[in-house]
Amino acid sequence: MKGFHLMRSLAAISLGAVLMVGCSSGGNTSAPAAGEGGSGQAASTDEQEIQAKIGVVGFLSGSGAAYGEAQKAGLELALGELNEANKGKLKIELKFEDSAGEKEGAINAVNKLINQDNVVAIIGPTLSGEMFAAGPVANEAETPIFGISNTSEGINDIGEYVFRNSLPESIAIPTAMKAAVEKNGLKKVALIHASNDDFSVNGYKVMKATAEKLGLEITGEATFANGDVDFSAQLTKLKQTNPDALLVSALYKEGSMVVKKARELGFTGTILGGNGFNNPKVFEIAGPAAEGLIVATPFSPEKKDDKVQAFVKAFEAKYNKKPDQFAAQAYDSLYIMSQSLLAAGKAEREELRGQLAQLRDFTGVSGKLSFDEKRNPIGDAVVVVAKEGKFVPFE
Amino acid sequence: MDILNPYNLQVLTFILLNSILAISIYITLSTGQLSLGHAGFMSIGAFTASILTKQADMPLFIAIIIGGLVAGLIALLIGAPTLKLHGLYLAIATLGFGEVIRVILLNMEITNGALGLTGLQSIGNYLYDFEKAMGLKAQTFGISVMQMKSLSTFVFMLLLFAFVLFLTLRLNRSRLGRAFEAIKADETAARAMGLQVGYYKMLAFVIGSILAGVCGGLFAHITTTITPDDFNYHKVVEILSYAVIGGSEVVWGPLFGALILTALPEVLRGLAEYKMLMYGLIMVGVMAFRPHGLIGADTFQKLFKRRRGKSTDKDAKGGV
Repeated sequence: MKGFHLMRSLAAISLGAVLMVGCSSGGNTSAPAAGEGGSGQAASTDEQEIQAKIGVVGFLSGSGAAYGEAQKAGLELALGELNEANKGKLKIELKFEDSAGEKEGAINAVNKLINQDNVVAIIGPTLSGEMFAAGPVANEAETPIFGISNTSEGINDIGEYVFRNSLPESIAIPTAMKAAVEKNGLKKVALIHASNDDFSVNGYKVMKATAEKLGLEITGEATFANGDVDFSAQLTKLKQTNPDALLVSALYKEGSMVVKKARELGFTGTILGGNGFNNPKVFEIAGPAAEGLIVATPFSPEKKDDKVQAFVKAFEAKYNKKPDQFAAQAYDSLYIMSQSLLAAGKAEREELRGQLAQLRDFTGVSGKLSFDEKRNPIGDAVVVVAKEGKFVPFE
Repeated sequence: MDILNPYNLQVLTFILLNSILAISIYITLSTGQLSLGHAGFMSIGAFTASILTKQADMPLFIAIIIGGLVAGLIALLIGAPTLKLHGLYLAIATLGFGEVIRVILLNMEITNGALGLTGLQSIGNYLYDFEKAMGLKAQTFGISVMQMKSLSTFVFMLLLFAFVLFLTLRLNRSRLGRAFEAIKADETAARAMGLQVGYYKMLAFVIGSILAGVCGGLFAHITTTITPDDFNYHKVVEILSYAVIGGSEVVWGPLFGALILTALPEVLRGLAEYKMLMYGLIMVGVMAFRPHGLIGADTFQKLFKRRRGKSTDKDAKGGV
């Protein structure tokens, strides 16, 4: 028996040893790879073809993996098309790293891509919170970092090297609200949001500011927490204030349930949601109650536009499903990168940053895009309305 | 020179940070108390330190120390009623405490609610400003500014960790440490021997909480952004698993646990999608072979004995 115990402790220790060896050998094998990447870039300047290695940090495992997977799909589609189109001129290589939706994960991934893989730029990370942690690292290392789904305020304030093509809520929500006010003649609105979620709070702040700016009367406000399933108390109270519209800032799960409950309680006015509603799951959860829901989105697969339709077709052919805004913005980001790399003429971080900052009137599948002097995206959002189980342009 | 790669230094910095956290849970556990409030204390330390540096422009390290002390003070208040509880009851009470703290932070103006605090000073920048003032520039050492900053953070964390570890080892061999051990082995017997059980338990709880608070402050100024959700139930499980995987009998156990659990996701990065699968398999393997954690009180003794014992036996086993 004692021998058995010894065996077990030995096994445990050898397991530990294996892990340690794995650790050191991992470091060794990747070191020369980084060196090759660096020399490849240096050599490429005098040759015809530019070799560019771009890192991607995504939420690829864990609770939000669906977002990361969509981004990965969009990027890979764009990669195939671009390397085909720019043959002989530019060859992009993507290096994906998982952040698992955690700050430490994002920081480590960005550090690894910059210092070990020697990438010329980074696309991602998925969440705004991750960007706030990892952005300063890239900025410090003078490497362009390009957010494709960070909608929070203040992302661009991180530094000179931080870009994004995802429209901040402060552009998307007012667009939707203005459209709704014009078409439906709204005067009084009520607000409800999830108070324990940074994304929802951000959206709520924009909604409130916009309502005040548009001169709308706010009849009532209510909050709930992510994970709640019963919203009757808040909604009954809000309904009594008799608003023309209900503005909901929440993630799709709770948001859809709020919409469903509001309709169940007999609310007949307009319901307008934030970016969180840009998810097909809304129709699964809210069912017919989703009808008439107004949302602003940077991308709608239903948009009558040749570029959009070509992208949707290519995406469907490759992945057998419709692309969402995460895939679309990821797809666009690589096109922006390749355009800027070609303009820069070499895969060099500083040059690339300069070219990115000068980007004007880029037309992608998620609309037209320019950067202002603070590198904030200027673009237009599509306002869509839920109709018979899908979002169609709101006209 | 590869060791000076900021990526490696960053991972090592996180390992050291989590090692200090592991010591904090170890000290609480060393009196046999299962506290799940460490994430709560960490968040108190993190937010206190961040508000002090961001709003009040206080020197970073003083702010971090104050953060730790505030966490300790709150531990004193919380400990008074809850430390009378044992085992799982204490675990549930402290878990509840952590959640209460999180919800309070989510609803406070000064913590910016769910959005949290961003753009905090980083330890690397802070140290580099000092080094520049002292005439030490990155160019002098032939490394980049970023390497210098990462290196400064790492060296600072290493020194801090060594200091905390030294104190912990001293504590273990002192009158206090022996009292902790006696209480862990048998509370009634310890009381019969004349130990003031309540006092020692409170002491261990408060020391653990101060350390957790300091770690919170460090975490905030390494990642430069915090939200209340960084310190939720997942963090509690993460901290506790250092002790579960590594073992909680000697301080080396949780330290080894912190090392493995922090390094593993990075080591397994190459596996991409299969990373979490491997991670899970290794965890299951560890628990199957070593249900009391990888390192126990007997691990070193056994190794030591075997080395001094019959060498033929050692060779035979070594081949396994």
